Amino acid sequence: MRLIEDKDRRQRAILNFIVLFISLVGVAKRNYVLDKTSAFEDILIDSFAPLQSSVTSVRSEVGNFFDHYIANISASKNNIELSRKIEDLENKIFEFKELSKENKRLKKLLDFGEGISYRKVLAQVVAWDANSDFKVIRINKGLKDGVQLQAAVVTSEGLVGYIYRLTDHFADILTVLDANNRVDGLIQRVRSHGIIEGYNNEKSIMKYISRAEPIILGDIVITSGLGNIYPKGIKVGTVSHIERESYGITQNVEITPAVDFGRLEEVVILLSDEDEQKRREWEALDQMDEDADNKEKK
Amino acid sequence: MKGNFAHLIRPLGITLLILIVLEILSTAFLPMVGLTKYRIPFNVLIILYMGFKLETPFTSVMILILQYTHSFFSIEGWEMGTVAGVMICIIISYLKDLLHLTSSVITIVVTQIFQTLWFLIVSSLIYLKTDDFSYIAQKFWRFLPESIVISLLAPLIFGVLDAIWKTEGESGLGSSV
Repeated sequence: MRLIEDKDRRQRAILNFIVLFISLVGVAKRNYVLDKTSAFEDILIDSFAPLQSSVTSVRSEVGNFFDHYIANISASKNNIELSRKIEDLENKIFEFKELSKENKRLKKLLDFGEGISYRKVLAQVVAWDANSDFKVIRINKGLKDGVQLQAAVVTSEGLVGYIYRLTDHFADILTVLDANNRVDGLIQRVRSHGIIEGYNNEKSIMKYISRAEPIILGDIVITSGLGNIYPKGIKVGTVSHIERESYGITQNVEITPAVDFGRLEEVVILLSDEDEQKRREWEALDQMDEDADNKEKK
Repeated sequence: MKGNFAHLIRPLGITLLILIVLEILSTAFLPMVGLTKYRIPFNVLIILYMGFKLETPFTSVMILILQYTHSFFSIEGWEMGTVAGVMICIIISYLKDLLHLTSSVITIVVTQIFQTLWFLIVSSLIYLKTDDFSYIAQKFWRFLPESIVISLLAPLIFGVLDAIWKTEGESGLGSSV
């Protein structure tokens, strides 16, 4: 009775119910395989991501400042002028070294996979996901740079993940460390198939490999090319732990990714015109399924 | 102010700006200094504040707006956090006469308790969706340090939010805006 009489309480109860209902429907519908953003979301993500990017560069500048100025405050007053000159030179050398390192990294990235018939787009990491449950990184390339949804992302070390969410100027990559990312993998030496899933912050796990497969520690795991997302033959990581139970028909294999995600700065997005064709094929198949379902209902 | 959403727009806008700044720091600054494993969930802290301090029928709508803003920084989306936030605010509304945020220590402890409740609600939803308990076990080990940091920051952030929402001096959970 109190609920009906009190206007505020009634309004609160109705709003709570509506919001909870919409959210629960959203939870049920949410999938972590692919996310197509609306125009409104595009605009907002494109507005916030440059801020994330600038924080990254400010941190780098502040780091340089602390390394190269604050640390030298205790230098003798008599040597201030000399110290300044030395600092300037050191700064320049540091900048050249950084440039040289960056050049080497970029060259290595661009040289990687020369044989692969994919167009490559170089991108820089600007931020990570706000929730530690998801191993997602944000890069500074988007639709305007030709990036496509579900395009594979790699470095010279190996596989990073695929494009999960895309705006005009930025993209989110679902990495191989994320439990929602499933990669069809192949143990290079014995050619046995399995599904690789993110397991924790540093490892992935390869499932559904027959117990009989003679896998050993240190075996290299590569992408199999199945699944229409990743090209065949990209290194995913190495086997670091094998779990065979005394029962069952499969074994679980823990994989240490080839990419050091803690030090990831640049990535390469692999693009192919075939991707668009594949997308259309998938959409046509989905449409056929929907049509068939609708016919059955009728 | 209680029943008029127009009065909430200004403080809500400032709160959203604060959330955006904190999210940017959390997503860009922390990983760049090597903290890629943990992230500080400031959205949870702000939603808990709304539950504790604001008594308006529009709390659930504000939670939805906050979570939607959070979703631009995370692929988590807005849904699970909204469910957890609204449910926790309903629970808080029943307990408001029992709990009073009279000191920093109490604020820290109460925030920790309700963060644990948040974890349980979100974990239940994840379990219902994935049927995978190992994922929740891993999430728990990340939740521990993250929630402790959030609880320790609670008195400070609540102070700032008190100034924005003009709830200074009203320390009880039942305080009205």
